[in-house]
Amino acid sequence: MKRTMIPVGPYHPILEEPEYYQLYVEGEKVVDADIRISYNHRGIEKLSEGLTFDQVPFLVARICGICCACHPFAYVNAMDDLLGIDPPERAKYVRTIFGELERIHSHLLWAGLAGHFIGYNTVFMWVWRYREPILDICEFTSGNRNHYDVYKVGGVRFDIPEEQFPAIRAKLDECEAGTKMLYEAVLDDPIIHLRLKGIGVLSKEDAIAYSTHGPTARGSGLPIDVRADEPYASYDVVDWNVIVHDEGDVMAKTLVRLEETLESIKIVRQCLDNMRPGPIELEIGDVPPGEGIGHAEAPRGETFHYVRSGGDNHPVRHKVRAPSYVNVPSFKANVIGAELADAMLITAANDPCYSCTERVAAVDWKTGETVAKGRGLIELCQEKTKRLKRALKR
Amino acid sequence: MQRDELVEKITKDLDGKLESIDRPSGKRAYLFVHPDHSLEVNRYLYELGGRLATATGVDSRDYIEVLYHYCFDSMNIVVTVKTRAFKPEVEIDSVAQVFPGAEWIEREMHDLLGVKFKNHPRLERLILSDDWEEGVYPYRRDYKK
Repeated sequence: MKRTMIPVGPYHPILEEPEYYQLYVEGEKVVDADIRISYNHRGIEKLSEGLTFDQVPFLVARICGICCACHPFAYVNAMDDLLGIDPPERAKYVRTIFGELERIHSHLLWAGLAGHFIGYNTVFMWVWRYREPILDICEFTSGNRNHYDVYKVGGVRFDIPEEQFPAIRAKLDECEAGTKMLYEAVLDDPIIHLRLKGIGVLSKEDAIAYSTHGPTARGSGLPIDVRADEPYASYDVVDWNVIVHDEGDVMAKTLVRLEETLESIKIVRQCLDNMRPGPIELEIGDVPPGEGIGHAEAPRGETFHYVRSGGDNHPVRHKVRAPSYVNVPSFKANVIGAELADAMLITAANDPCYSCTERVAAVDWKTGETVAKGRGLIELCQEKTKRLKRALKR
Repeated sequence: MQRDELVEKITKDLDGKLESIDRPSGKRAYLFVHPDHSLEVNRYLYELGGRLATATGVDSRDYIEVLYHYCFDSMNIVVTVKTRAFKPEVEIDSVAQVFPGAEWIEREMHDLLGVKFKNHPRLERLILSDDWEEGVYPYRRDYKK
Protein backbone atom coordinates (compact mmCIF):
# COMPACT_ATOMS: atom_id res chain seq x y z
CA MET A 1 0.00 0.00 0.00
CA LYS A 2 1.14 3.53 -0.67
CA ARG A 3 2.87 5.07 2.31
CA THR A 4 2.14 8.73 2.97
CA MET A 5 4.06 11.03 5.27
CA ILE A 6 1.98 13.58 7.17
CA PRO A 7 3.95 16.39 8.75
CA VAL A 8 2.26 17.90 11.79
CA GLY A 9 3.65 21.20 13.01
CA PRO A 10 6.18 22.60 13.62
CA TYR A 11 4.80 25.85 14.86
CA HIS A 12 2.36 25.99 17.64
CA PRO A 13 0.44 29.25 17.39
CA ILE A 14 -1.58 29.25 20.63
CA LEU A 15 0.00 27.22 23.38
CA GLU A 16 3.55 26.35 24.42
CA GLU A 17 5.93 23.71 23.14
CA PRO A 18 6.11 23.73 19.39
CA GLU A 19 6.60 20.22 18.11
CA TYR A 20 6.84 18.58 14.79
CA TYR A 21 5.47 15.12 14.14
CA GLN A 22 5.92 13.10 11.03
CA LEU A 23 3.26 10.46 10.79
CA TYR A 24 3.74 7.70 8.25
CA VAL A 25 0.42 6.27 7.22
CA GLU A 26 -0.73 3.47 4.99
CA GLY A 27 -4.36 4.13 4.17
CA GLU A 28 -5.91 5.09 7.48
CA LYS A 29 -3.39 3.29 9.70
CA VAL A 30 -0.40 5.00 11.27
CA VAL A 31 2.61 2.75 10.70
CA ASP A 32 5.46 4.90 12.01
CA ALA A 33 6.02 8.22 13.68
CA ASP A 34 8.88 10.61 14.25
CA ILE A 35 8.97 13.59 16.56
CA ARG A 36 11.16 16.69 16.45
CA ILE A 37 11.19 19.43 19.04
CA SER A 38 13.05 22.62 19.88
CA TYR A 39 11.47 25.04 17.47
CA ASN A 40 11.27 27.46 20.34
CA HIS A 41 14.53 26.86 22.20
CA ARG A 42 15.20 29.98 24.24
CA GLY A 43 18.30 28.88 26.15
CA ILE A 44 16.61 29.29 29.54
CA GLU A 45 19.29 27.16 31.25
CA LYS A 46 22.06 29.37 29.91
CA LEU A 47 20.14 32.58 30.74
CA SER A 48 19.63 31.34 34.28
CA GLU A 49 23.41 31.17 34.80
CA GLY A 50 23.56 34.93 34.28
CA LEU A 51 20.93 35.73 36.93
CA THR A 52 21.12 35.83 40.72
CA PHE A 53 19.41 33.10 42.73
CA ASP A 54 16.59 35.54 43.57
CA GLN A 55 15.95 36.45 39.95
CA VAL A 56 15.75 32.89 38.63
CA PRO A 57 12.10 32.23 39.75
CA PHE A 58 10.90 35.06 37.49
CA LEU A 59 12.76 33.55 34.56
CA VAL A 60 11.61 29.96 35.03
CA ALA A 61 8.00 31.10 35.57
CA ARG A 62 8.13 32.30 31.99
CA ILE A 63 9.13 28.92 30.56
CA CYS A 64 5.46 28.18 30.15
CA GLY A 65 2.26 30.18 30.19
CA ILE A 66 0.25 27.45 31.87
CA CYS A 67 2.86 25.92 34.18
CA CYS A 68 4.02 29.23 35.59
CA ALA A 69 3.76 27.92 39.15
CA CYS A 70 5.36 24.49 38.89
CA HIS A 71 8.70 25.61 37.42
CA PRO A 72 9.45 28.14 40.16
CA PHE A 73 8.00 25.61 42.61
CA ALA A 74 10.54 22.96 41.54
CA TYR A 75 13.29 25.58 41.57
CA VAL A 76 12.57 26.74 45.12
CA ASN A 77 12.42 23.08 46.16
CA ALA A 78 15.89 22.62 44.65
CA MET A 79 17.12 25.70 46.51
CA ASP A 80 15.59 24.41 49.77
CA ASP A 81 17.51 21.19 49.15
CA LEU A 82 20.74 23.04 48.37
CA LEU A 83 20.47 25.33 51.41
CA GLY A 84 19.04 22.65 53.71
CA ILE A 85 16.20 24.92 54.85
CA ASP A 86 12.55 24.40 55.69
CA PRO A 87 10.33 27.41 54.83
CA PRO A 88 7.66 28.62 57.32
CA GLU A 89 4.31 26.80 57.47
CA ARG A 90 2.24 29.60 55.99
CA ALA A 91 4.61 29.97 53.05
CA LYS A 92 4.25 26.26 52.33
CA TYR A 93 0.46 26.56 52.31
CA VAL A 94 0.55 29.50 49.90
CA ARG A 95 2.94 27.57 47.64
CA THR A 96 0.59 24.57 47.69
CA ILE A 97 -2.50 26.67 46.93
CA PHE A 98 -0.99 28.20 43.81
CA GLY A 99 0.36 24.83 42.66
CA GLU A 100 -3.14 23.35 42.91
CA LEU A 101 -4.99 26.29 41.36
CA GLU A 102 -2.69 25.86 38.41
CA ARG A 103 -3.48 22.15 38.17
CA ILE A 104 -7.23 22.84 38.18
CA HIS A 105 -7.16 25.43 35.43
CA SER A 106 -4.67 23.44 33.36
CA HIS A 107 -6.69 20.20 33.53
CA LEU A 108 -9.89 22.04 32.63
CA LEU A 109 -8.14 23.77 29.75
CA TRP A 110 -7.11 20.34 28.48
CA ALA A 111 -10.62 18.92 28.92
CA GLY A 112 -12.04 21.80 26.88
CA LEU A 113 -9.54 21.28 24.07
CA ALA A 114 -10.17 17.53 24.08
CA GLY A 115 -13.85 18.27 23.68
CA HIS A 116 -13.10 20.50 20.72
CA PHE A 117 -10.89 17.83 19.12
CA ILE A 118 -13.62 15.22 19.17
CA GLY A 119 -16.22 17.65 17.86
CA TYR A 120 -17.93 18.60 21.11
CA ASN A 121 -17.64 22.34 20.86
CA THR A 122 -20.22 22.86 23.59
CA VAL A 123 -17.89 21.02 25.98
CA PHE A 124 -15.11 23.34 24.93
CA MET A 125 -17.18 26.46 25.71
CA TRP A 126 -18.67 25.21 28.95
CA VAL A 127 -15.49 23.78 30.44
CA TRP A 128 -13.58 26.97 29.81
CA ARG A 129 -16.38 28.74 31.61
CA TYR A 130 -15.90 26.49 34.68
CA ARG A 131 -12.19 27.29 34.50
CA GLU A 132 -12.83 31.02 34.73
CA PRO A 133 -13.55 31.19 38.51
CA ILE A 134 -10.07 29.72 39.14
CA LEU A 135 -8.44 32.40 37.01
CA ASP A 136 -10.49 34.94 38.97
CA ILE A 137 -8.97 33.62 42.20
CA CYS A 138 -5.50 33.97 40.70
CA GLU A 139 -6.30 37.48 39.64
CA PHE A 140 -7.57 38.86 42.91
CA THR A 141 -4.89 37.13 45.00
CA SER A 142 -1.84 37.78 42.85
CA GLY A 143 -2.91 40.52 40.46
CA ASN A 144 -2.53 38.28 37.40
CA ARG A 145 -4.63 35.59 35.79
CA ASN A 146 -1.38 33.85 34.99
CA HIS A 147 2.25 34.43 36.06
CA TYR A 148 1.49 34.74 39.76
CA ASP A 149 5.21 35.04 40.64
CA VAL A 150 4.52 34.04 44.22
CA TYR A 151 7.53 31.75 44.66
CA LYS A 152 10.71 32.96 46.29
CA VAL A 153 13.78 31.20 47.67
CA GLY A 154 13.00 30.61 51.36
CA GLY A 155 9.28 31.38 51.17
CA VAL A 156 6.75 33.33 49.13
CA ARG A 157 6.61 36.92 47.93
CA PHE A 158 3.15 37.73 49.21
CA ASP A 159 0.52 36.32 51.49
CA ILE A 160 -3.13 35.51 50.82
CA PRO A 161 -5.07 37.71 53.28
CA GLU A 162 -7.83 36.10 55.38
CA GLU A 163 -10.41 38.55 53.96
CA GLN A 164 -10.09 36.85 50.59
CA PHE A 165 -10.82 33.33 51.88
CA PRO A 166 -14.64 33.51 51.56
CA ALA A 167 -14.37 34.70 47.97
CA ILE A 168 -11.90 31.90 47.16
CA ARG A 169 -14.24 29.32 48.68
CA ALA A 170 -17.20 30.64 46.69
CA LYS A 171 -15.23 30.47 43.43
CA LEU A 172 -14.09 26.92 44.24
CA ASP A 173 -17.70 25.85 44.79
CA GLU A 174 -18.64 27.30 41.43
CA CYS A 175 -15.84 25.43 39.69
CA GLU A 176 -16.52 22.19 41.55
CA ALA A 177 -20.19 22.09 40.58
CA GLY A 178 -19.31 22.49 36.91
CA THR A 179 -16.49 19.94 37.00
CA LYS A 180 -18.69 17.35 38.71
CA MET A 181 -21.38 17.80 36.11
CA LEU A 182 -18.79 17.42 33.35
CA TYR A 183 -17.36 14.30 34.98
CA GLU A 184 -20.77 12.65 35.14
CA ALA A 185 -21.56 13.71 31.58
CA VAL A 186 -18.31 12.09 30.37
CA LEU A 187 -19.13 8.86 32.18
CA ASP A 188 -22.69 8.89 30.82
CA ASP A 189 -22.02 9.64 27.17
CA PRO A 190 -21.91 6.55 24.93
CA ILE A 191 -20.20 8.47 22.12
CA ILE A 192 -17.35 9.56 24.38
CA HIS A 193 -16.92 5.94 25.50
CA LEU A 194 -16.79 4.77 21.87
CA ARG A 195 -14.42 7.55 20.98
CA LEU A 196 -11.94 7.33 23.90
CA LYS A 197 -11.98 3.75 25.18
CA GLY A 198 -9.25 1.47 23.89
CA ILE A 199 -7.74 4.29 21.84
CA GLY A 200 -3.98 4.95 21.99
CA VAL A 201 -3.25 2.44 24.71
CA LEU A 202 0.09 3.03 26.42
CA SER A 203 1.08 -0.17 28.18
CA LYS A 204 2.52 -0.07 31.68
CA GLU A 205 5.83 -1.46 30.35
CA ASP A 206 6.12 1.32 27.76
CA ALA A 207 5.17 3.92 30.35
CA ILE A 208 8.13 2.71 32.44
CA ALA A 209 10.58 2.37 29.54
CA TYR A 210 9.88 5.91 28.33
CA SER A 211 10.17 7.24 31.91
CA THR A 212 6.77 8.90 31.60
CA HIS A 213 5.17 10.76 34.47
CA GLY A 214 2.00 12.57 35.44
CA PRO A 215 -1.47 11.73 34.10
CA THR A 216 0.19 9.90 31.18
CA ALA A 217 1.81 7.43 33.60
CA ARG A 218 -1.07 7.37 36.09
CA GLY A 219 -3.46 6.56 33.25
CA SER A 220 -1.30 3.51 32.55
CA GLY A 221 -1.46 2.16 36.08
CA LEU A 222 1.73 3.64 37.53
CA PRO A 223 0.96 5.09 40.97
CA ILE A 224 3.59 7.83 40.81
CA ASP A 225 3.00 11.39 41.92
CA VAL A 226 5.75 13.62 43.31
CA ARG A 227 3.27 15.17 45.75
CA ALA A 228 2.86 11.77 47.41
CA ASP A 229 6.28 10.26 46.77
CA GLU A 230 8.36 13.16 48.00
CA PRO A 231 5.84 15.27 49.90
CA TYR A 232 7.02 18.84 49.54
CA ALA A 233 5.27 22.02 50.75
CA SER A 234 2.09 21.00 52.63
CA TYR A 235 1.11 17.87 50.71
CA ASP A 236 1.92 15.68 53.72
CA VAL A 237 -0.55 17.48 56.01
CA VAL A 238 -3.61 17.54 53.75
CA ASP A 239 -5.81 14.60 52.91
CA TRP A 240 -5.95 13.68 49.21
CA ASN A 241 -5.63 10.67 46.91
CA VAL A 242 -3.34 9.73 44.03
CA ILE A 243 -5.63 8.99 41.08
CA VAL A 244 -4.65 5.92 39.07
CA HIS A 245 -6.42 4.18 36.19
CA ASP A 246 -5.00 1.03 34.64
CA GLU A 247 -6.36 1.00 31.10
CA GLY A 248 -3.71 3.24 29.50
CA ASP A 249 -6.13 4.59 26.86
CA VAL A 250 -7.32 8.14 26.24
CA MET A 251 -10.36 7.54 28.46
CA ALA A 252 -8.11 6.62 31.41
CA LYS A 253 -6.06 9.79 30.97
CA THR A 254 -9.25 11.86 30.78
CA LEU A 255 -10.65 10.34 33.96
CA VAL A 256 -7.32 10.83 35.77
CA ARG A 257 -7.35 14.52 34.90
CA LEU A 258 -10.99 15.11 35.83
CA GLU A 259 -10.74 13.25 39.13
CA GLU A 260 -7.50 15.05 39.93
CA THR A 261 -9.23 18.38 39.40
CA LEU A 262 -11.72 17.47 42.11
CA GLU A 263 -8.87 16.33 44.40
CA SER A 264 -7.11 19.65 43.84
CA ILE A 265 -10.20 21.59 44.86
CA LYS A 266 -10.24 19.47 48.03
CA ILE A 267 -6.57 20.30 48.71
CA VAL A 268 -7.06 24.07 48.30
CA ARG A 269 -10.06 24.01 50.68
CA GLN A 270 -8.03 22.17 53.33
CA CYS A 271 -5.12 24.59 52.95
CA LEU A 272 -7.50 27.50 53.58
CA ASP A 273 -8.92 25.73 56.66
CA ASN A 274 -5.50 24.89 58.12
CA MET A 275 -3.58 28.10 57.44
CA ARG A 276 -2.59 30.04 60.55
CA PRO A 277 -1.09 33.54 60.57
CA GLY A 278 2.69 33.56 60.62
CA PRO A 279 5.85 34.56 58.74
CA ILE A 280 5.94 33.89 55.01
CA GLU A 281 9.67 33.82 54.34
CA LEU A 282 13.06 33.00 55.81
CA GLU A 283 16.06 35.28 55.77
CA ILE A 284 18.52 33.79 53.27
CA GLY A 285 22.18 34.64 53.62
CA ASP A 286 24.94 33.70 51.20
CA VAL A 287 24.41 30.57 49.15
CA PRO A 288 27.23 28.09 49.82
CA PRO A 289 28.80 25.94 47.07
CA GLY A 290 26.82 22.77 46.53
CA GLU A 291 24.01 21.24 44.52
CA GLY A 292 20.31 20.75 44.93
CA ILE A 293 17.59 18.72 43.25
CA GLY A 294 13.99 19.81 43.35
CA HIS A 295 10.95 18.35 41.71
CA ALA A 296 7.32 19.31 41.73
CA GLU A 297 4.18 17.76 40.32
CA ALA A 298 3.09 19.94 37.43
CA PRO A 299 -0.34 19.39 35.82
CA ARG A 300 1.40 17.29 33.14
CA GLY A 301 3.80 15.38 35.40
CA GLU A 302 7.06 15.84 37.19
CA THR A 303 9.02 19.05 36.69
CA PHE A 304 12.65 18.47 37.58
CA HIS A 305 15.26 21.12 38.43
CA TYR A 306 18.93 20.65 39.26
CA VAL A 307 20.85 23.66 40.60
CA ARG A 308 24.58 23.87 41.25
CA SER A 309 26.10 26.73 43.17
CA GLY A 310 29.76 27.74 43.03
CA GLY A 311 29.50 29.88 46.17
CA ASP A 312 28.67 32.98 44.15
CA ASN A 313 25.30 34.73 43.92
CA HIS A 314 24.26 32.92 40.73
CA PRO A 315 23.90 29.28 39.67
CA VAL A 316 26.84 27.77 37.76
CA ARG A 317 24.47 25.19 36.26
CA HIS A 318 20.73 25.02 36.24
CA LYS A 319 19.06 22.09 34.52
CA VAL A 320 15.34 22.20 33.80
CA ARG A 321 13.28 19.25 32.62
CA ALA A 322 9.61 19.81 31.86
CA PRO A 323 7.16 16.88 32.00
CA SER A 324 6.29 16.88 28.30
CA TYR A 325 9.94 16.09 27.55
CA VAL A 326 9.40 12.55 28.85
CA ASN A 327 5.72 12.20 27.91
CA VAL A 328 5.85 13.26 24.27
CA PRO A 329 8.29 10.50 23.11
CA SER A 330 5.89 7.84 24.45
CA PHE A 331 3.59 8.90 21.61
CA LYS A 332 5.77 6.71 19.41
CA ALA A 333 4.75 3.72 21.52
CA ASN A 334 0.98 4.23 21.39
CA VAL A 335 0.24 5.80 18.01
CA ILE A 336 1.50 2.98 15.81
CA GLY A 337 -1.44 0.94 14.58
CA ALA A 338 -3.92 3.70 15.37
CA GLU A 339 -6.35 5.19 12.90
CA LEU A 340 -5.41 8.55 11.44
CA ALA A 341 -8.65 10.05 12.81
CA ASP A 342 -7.51 9.07 16.30
CA ALA A 343 -3.86 10.15 15.96
CA MET A 344 -4.65 13.75 16.83
CA LEU A 345 -6.59 12.66 19.87
CA ILE A 346 -3.71 10.46 21.04
CA THR A 347 -1.20 13.29 20.82
CA ALA A 348 -3.68 15.49 22.62
CA ALA A 349 -3.99 12.93 25.39
CA ASN A 350 -0.21 12.64 25.81
CA ASP A 351 0.49 16.30 25.58
CA PRO A 352 -2.41 18.56 26.32
CA CYS A 353 -0.76 21.58 24.73
CA TYR A 354 -1.52 20.44 21.27
CA SER A 355 -2.79 22.81 18.68
CA CYS A 356 -0.18 22.27 16.02
CA THR A 357 -3.02 20.72 14.14
CA GLU A 358 -3.93 24.18 12.97
CA ARG A 359 -0.88 23.95 10.78
CA VAL A 360 -1.19 20.45 9.45
CA ALA A 361 -0.55 19.52 5.85
CA ALA A 362 -0.75 16.03 4.41
CA VAL A 363 1.89 15.53 1.74
CA ASP A 364 2.02 12.73 -0.76
CA TRP A 365 5.07 10.62 0.13
CA LYS A 366 6.30 10.23 -3.45
CA THR A 367 5.31 13.43 -5.21
CA GLY A 368 5.55 15.83 -2.28
CA GLU A 369 2.15 17.23 -3.22
CA THR A 370 -0.09 18.61 -0.53
CA VAL A 371 -3.28 16.55 -0.33
CA ALA A 372 -4.90 17.96 2.80
CA LYS A 373 -4.01 20.81 5.03
CA GLY A 374 -5.14 23.35 7.58
CA ARG A 375 -7.91 22.04 9.75
CA GLY A 376 -8.13 18.77 7.88
CA LEU A 377 -6.99 16.47 10.66
CA ILE A 378 -9.20 18.06 13.30
CA GLU A 379 -12.10 17.71 10.91
CA LEU A 380 -11.20 14.08 10.34
CA CYS A 381 -11.26 13.59 14.10
CA GLN A 382 -14.60 15.38 14.48
CA GLU A 383 -16.13 13.47 11.57
CA LYS A 384 -15.45 10.18 13.26
CA THR A 385 -17.56 11.34 16.22
CA LYS A 386 -20.39 12.33 13.87
CA ARG A 387 -20.16 8.95 12.16
CA LEU A 388 -20.40 7.17 15.50
CA LYS A 389 -23.38 9.35 16.48
CA ARG A 390 -25.20 8.41 13.30
CA ALA A 391 -24.45 4.73 13.74
CA LEU A 392 -25.70 4.84 17.32
CA LYS A 393 -29.02 6.38 16.34
CA ARG A 394 -29.76 3.66 13.87
CA MET B 1 12.50 -1.71 50.96
CA GLN B 2 13.38 1.53 52.71
CA ARG B 3 15.72 4.07 51.16
CA ASP B 4 18.61 3.36 53.54
CA GLU B 5 18.40 -0.32 52.66
CA LEU B 6 18.35 0.67 48.99
CA VAL B 7 21.59 2.66 49.30
CA GLU B 8 23.12 -0.24 51.25
CA LYS B 9 22.08 -2.71 48.54
CA ILE B 10 23.44 -0.46 45.78
CA THR B 11 26.76 -0.12 47.63
CA LYS B 12 27.01 -3.88 48.08
CA ASP B 13 25.93 -4.89 44.55
CA LEU B 14 28.13 -2.32 42.85
CA ASP B 15 31.17 -3.02 44.97
CA GLY B 16 34.34 -2.00 43.12
CA LYS B 17 32.45 0.05 40.52
CA LEU B 18 31.77 3.10 42.66
CA GLU B 19 34.47 5.63 43.45
CA SER B 20 32.48 7.05 46.33
CA ILE B 21 28.99 7.83 47.59
CA ASP B 22 27.77 11.18 48.87
CA ARG B 23 24.58 11.35 50.94
CA PRO B 24 23.87 15.03 51.70
CA SER B 25 20.40 14.16 53.03
CA GLY B 26 18.17 11.12 53.43
CA LYS B 27 16.37 11.68 50.15
CA ARG B 28 19.42 12.35 47.96
CA ALA B 29 22.38 10.10 47.06
CA TYR B 30 25.19 10.80 44.61
CA LEU B 31 27.24 7.92 43.19
CA PHE B 32 30.63 8.81 41.72
CA VAL B 33 31.35 6.42 38.88
CA HIS B 34 34.30 6.02 36.52
CA PRO B 35 33.13 6.31 32.87
CA ASP B 36 34.18 2.68 32.23
CA HIS B 37 31.49 1.49 34.65
CA SER B 38 28.84 4.06 33.75
CA LEU B 39 26.77 1.83 31.46
CA GLU B 40 26.75 -1.03 33.93
CA VAL B 41 25.74 1.18 36.88
CA ASN B 42 22.97 2.87 34.86
CA ARG B 43 21.61 -0.47 33.68
CA TYR B 44 21.65 -1.75 37.23
CA LEU B 45 19.69 1.26 38.56
CA TYR B 46 17.14 1.09 35.75
CA GLU B 47 16.57 -2.62 36.32
CA LEU B 48 16.28 -1.99 40.05
CA GLY B 49 13.23 0.17 39.28
CA GLY B 50 14.78 3.63 39.03
CA ARG B 51 12.91 6.11 36.85
CA LEU B 52 15.31 8.29 34.89
CA ALA B 53 14.04 11.79 35.60
CA THR B 54 16.63 13.40 33.36
CA ALA B 55 20.37 13.82 32.91
CA THR B 56 22.48 16.94 33.31
CA GLY B 57 25.73 17.85 31.57
CA VAL B 58 28.10 20.27 33.29
CA ASP B 59 31.19 21.65 31.56
CA SER B 60 34.36 21.54 33.68
CA ARG B 61 37.88 22.39 32.63
CA ASP B 62 39.08 18.90 31.61
CA TYR B 63 35.86 16.99 31.21
CA ILE B 64 32.10 17.20 30.82
CA GLU B 65 30.39 15.93 33.92
CA VAL B 66 27.34 13.80 33.09
CA LEU B 67 24.74 13.26 35.80
CA TYR B 68 21.92 10.73 35.47
CA HIS B 69 19.14 11.35 37.99
CA TYR B 70 17.11 8.27 38.97
CA CYS B 71 13.99 8.65 41.11
CA PHE B 72 12.96 5.72 43.27
CA ASP B 73 9.45 7.05 43.75
CA SER B 74 8.13 4.59 46.31
CA MET B 75 11.18 5.17 48.56
CA ASN B 76 11.36 8.96 48.26
CA ILE B 77 14.97 9.11 47.13
CA VAL B 78 16.78 10.49 44.08
CA VAL B 79 19.96 8.61 43.20
CA THR B 80 22.29 10.51 40.90
CA VAL B 81 25.06 8.84 38.92
CA LYS B 82 27.98 11.23 38.45
CA THR B 83 30.37 10.32 35.70
CA ARG B 84 32.75 12.18 33.41
CA ALA B 85 33.47 12.35 29.69
CA PHE B 86 37.09 13.47 29.34
CA LYS B 87 38.18 16.03 26.76
CA PRO B 88 39.20 16.09 23.98
CA GLU B 89 37.29 12.90 22.90
CA VAL B 90 34.35 13.52 25.29
CA GLU B 91 33.13 9.97 24.75
CA ILE B 92 30.92 7.93 27.03
CA ASP B 93 28.67 4.86 26.70
CA SER B 94 25.07 5.65 25.83
CA VAL B 95 22.34 4.66 28.25
CA ALA B 96 19.69 4.96 25.51
CA GLN B 97 20.80 1.54 24.24
CA VAL B 98 19.30 0.12 27.46
CA PHE B 99 15.95 1.98 27.44
CA PRO B 100 14.36 4.65 25.23
CA GLY B 101 13.73 7.09 28.08
CA ALA B 102 17.36 8.28 27.84
CA GLU B 103 17.26 8.89 24.09
CA TRP B 104 16.28 12.56 23.92
CA ILE B 105 18.33 13.83 26.83
CA GLU B 106 21.50 12.24 25.42
CA ARG B 107 20.83 13.79 22.03
CA GLU B 108 20.38 17.11 23.80
CA MET B 109 23.74 16.81 25.60
CA HIS B 110 25.35 15.82 22.33
CA ASP B 111 23.98 18.99 20.72
CA LEU B 112 24.67 21.50 23.44
CA LEU B 113 27.82 20.16 25.10
CA GLY B 114 29.33 17.90 22.47
CA VAL B 115 29.25 14.68 24.47
CA LYS B 116 29.60 11.70 22.13
CA PHE B 117 27.45 8.81 23.28
CA LYS B 118 28.80 5.48 22.06
CA ASN B 119 26.20 3.06 20.66
CA HIS B 120 23.34 5.53 20.87
CA PRO B 121 20.53 4.26 18.60
CA ARG B 122 20.15 7.60 16.83
CA LEU B 123 22.56 10.39 17.74
CA GLU B 124 21.09 13.13 15.58
CA ARG B 125 20.38 16.78 16.25
CA LEU B 126 17.47 17.44 18.59
CA ILE B 127 17.85 20.97 19.94
CA LEU B 128 20.06 22.82 17.48
CA SER B 129 18.92 23.63 13.99
CA ASP B 130 20.23 21.60 11.09
CA ASP B 131 22.38 24.45 9.79
CA TRP B 132 24.15 25.09 13.11
CA GLU B 133 27.93 25.02 12.70
CA GLU B 134 29.57 21.63 13.43
CA GLY B 135 31.75 21.48 16.52
CA VAL B 136 30.28 24.60 18.17
CA TYR B 137 28.66 23.79 21.49
CA PRO B 138 26.63 26.61 23.03
CA TYR B 139 26.55 25.29 26.61
CA ARG B 140 30.32 24.95 26.88
CA ARG B 141 32.12 27.51 29.03
CA ASP B 142 34.35 28.66 26.17
CA TYR B 143 31.39 29.38 23.87
CA LYS B 144 31.35 32.96 22.58
CA LYS B 145 28.46 34.41 20.59
